[in-house]
Amino acid sequence: MTFLFYIFAAIAVIGGIGVVVYKNPVSSAFAMILSFLGLAAIFIQLDAYLVGILQILVYAGAIMVLFLFIIMLMDVKEEEGKTFKFGAIVGAVLVVGGFTGALVKVLMESKIGNETIPALAEGGKSDVHEIGELLFSTYWFPIQIIGVLLLVATVGVILLSRKELK
Amino acid sequence: MPVYYLEIIVVVLGLVMLMADAFVKLEDKRNIAWFAVLVLSVVFLLLFKVSWPESTEGSPFWKFYDAEKGSRGFSLFFKGIAVLTTIIVLIMSAEFRGVLLKYTAKPEDGAHPQSGLSEFFTLPVFACAGLMWMASANNLASIFVSLEAVTITFYILVAYMRRNVGSLEAGVKYLILGALSTGFLVYGFTWLFGVTGTMDLAGIKEQLALDSVNVTAALFAFALIIVALGFKVGAAPFQNWIPDVYQGAPTPITAFLSVASKAAGFIVLLRISGCFFGSGDLSEKVGAVFVVLAILTLLFGNLAALPQTNFKRLLAYSSIAHAGFLLMALASPITLVADGKEPPLLDTSIGVIAFYLGAYLLMTLLAFLVMTAVRNQQEDDSLEGYAGLAKRSPFLAFSLLVSMASLAGVPLTAGFFGKFFVFKLAIQNGACGWLIAAGVIGAAAGFYYYFKVIASMFWNAPAEGNDGPIPVSMPAKVVMVLLIIAIFAVGIVPNLILGLIK
Repeated sequence: MTFLFYIFAAIAVIGGIGVVVYKNPVSSAFAMILSFLGLAAIFIQLDAYLVGILQILVYAGAIMVLFLFIIMLMDVKEEEGKTFKFGAIVGAVLVVGGFTGALVKVLMESKIGNETIPALAEGGKSDVHEIGELLFSTYWFPIQIIGVLLLVATVGVILLSRKELK
Repeated sequence: MPVYYLEIIVVVLGLVMLMADAFVKLEDKRNIAWFAVLVLSVVFLLLFKVSWPESTEGSPFWKFYDAEKGSRGFSLFFKGIAVLTTIIVLIMSAEFRGVLLKYTAKPEDGAHPQSGLSEFFTLPVFACAGLMWMASANNLASIFVSLEAVTITFYILVAYMRRNVGSLEAGVKYLILGALSTGFLVYGFTWLFGVTGTMDLAGIKEQLALDSVNVTAALFAFALIIVALGFKVGAAPFQNWIPDVYQGAPTPITAFLSVASKAAGFIVLLRISGCFFGSGDLSEKVGAVFVVLAILTLLFGNLAALPQTNFKRLLAYSSIAHAGFLLMALASPITLVADGKEPPLLDTSIGVIAFYLGAYLLMTLLAFLVMTAVRNQQEDDSLEGYAGLAKRSPFLAFSLLVSMASLAGVPLTAGFFGKFFVFKLAIQNGACGWLIAAGVIGAAAGFYYYFKVIASMFWNAPAEGNDGPIPVSMPAKVVMVLLIIAIFAVGIVPNLILGLIK
């Protein structure tokens, strides 16, 4: 199992690097799908089937299709011609390096990875069932707030993108 | 009346406003705004009449909605700030409609002449509900969803003038940086959850106070969260978005951002940092982070404001500067009180911050009201447009004079006591000398740039061709008079604000 984890983690990381390195936005988008697939596999390995499937359905599926639609509206040729500026590369390396360094240091010092977290109870309900029940019982209040959030977002999207009403 | 009815009323009000726009034929869409102002004023009065449950055991609702005895007053106080700001922003929006419609409705294309106006009144109401939830959020989950509800509303409102390049640019900048900061926030929350095993703030505080707590990981969580919340309140070095977004956004929305959004950011910051201040080891390091942030913010906000020539941009830097003073109050370690007695309100960071935000609300909204009126007469918000304002409209000039004097911290105004209490708290609790020095430099620089505005209003002659009188609508005038009275009243009897918290 650990062996599989390394493969999928490598896929996710390589996909992530691809998003940044490819100049063609379509290639970037496909690299992102690759990264999402790697992540989904890791979730499934952790027995979080629902999260894994949602990762594929929602992120790799719906959201990426949207991305590609938007990319089609852009001028791909122009994007390809762009070169990375030296300052931007230095800045990105500093930020990403610093963040990764901090993360590695915290993980080394805090020994978080050394203990095994107890497994979820066996033979209970499926995780879809569990998550659904939690969302609509314990977490009903945050769900309501998200309802308001989605309403506002819908109104906003229409406002900012509509044609004039006659 | 149970306290959670307040938010329900506000959300229902928003829905009614959306429906009214769709189904009721209105000659003047401002009526929707006046209706909202009326209902929100009732909500504001109801704040003094709320009741709390006897027991909150076992209810899934009260896990997310704060009902602790000690924090009730503050929850209500911050809800009051949200409601009051929304009311004034709505009145400001009605005043601003001329400028707004120029960039939203396009009559040549056959659009309704008031197209998009009513939603401009409705969205702040939803943001207000989110801010009110945020004021009593006591769980990482409810903090996150209410914060997002507010932020997403602001993304839309900032970019609202969609035919104006500045507004669009501000919207895109805010969206991208805001999304980045949200990423940091969620990542920080997951680390905090990983360290403590709970999302409940009281539970987190308990866990962090234990000796077995994983200090490195807890500090990493704190660092990530502080990046995100520092962005929200505009603390240096996460303040880069503020000048551009404030300048590009429609003026009422800038006012909303700089008051309500900052207040909500600070209450979340207070709640979360309160968890870390519980344990000795962590609180020392967390306090040091706040000291550094406060010094940077004070110096950057105040010194960068000096050369500004655009009034809106000046107020953006001033908003960073005030965030610096608020952080200074947060950075002054909380006095430990023996034998469980509650310390006097003004000896605690939260008391001083609440007072400061209350005073800040009055003076900032007054300045933005004047700016809205002046903006109706000219193309931009450059300071040149304010030259000779005293000759063109003595009332507006006087309002701005009061507001600027209060922002600078002249005695007898609300702003003076705000700064006074911050410095008193810092000195009393033995804050480090650099922090106090930065505060003094900041306050002194403040006098320079606020008085630059006053000098230009009273001593310079109006520009050619831009010297007519400036009309102000009745509701705006009434609000301005009330704000001026409030600034002086609080400046003479500071207990007025503190009395509200109890």
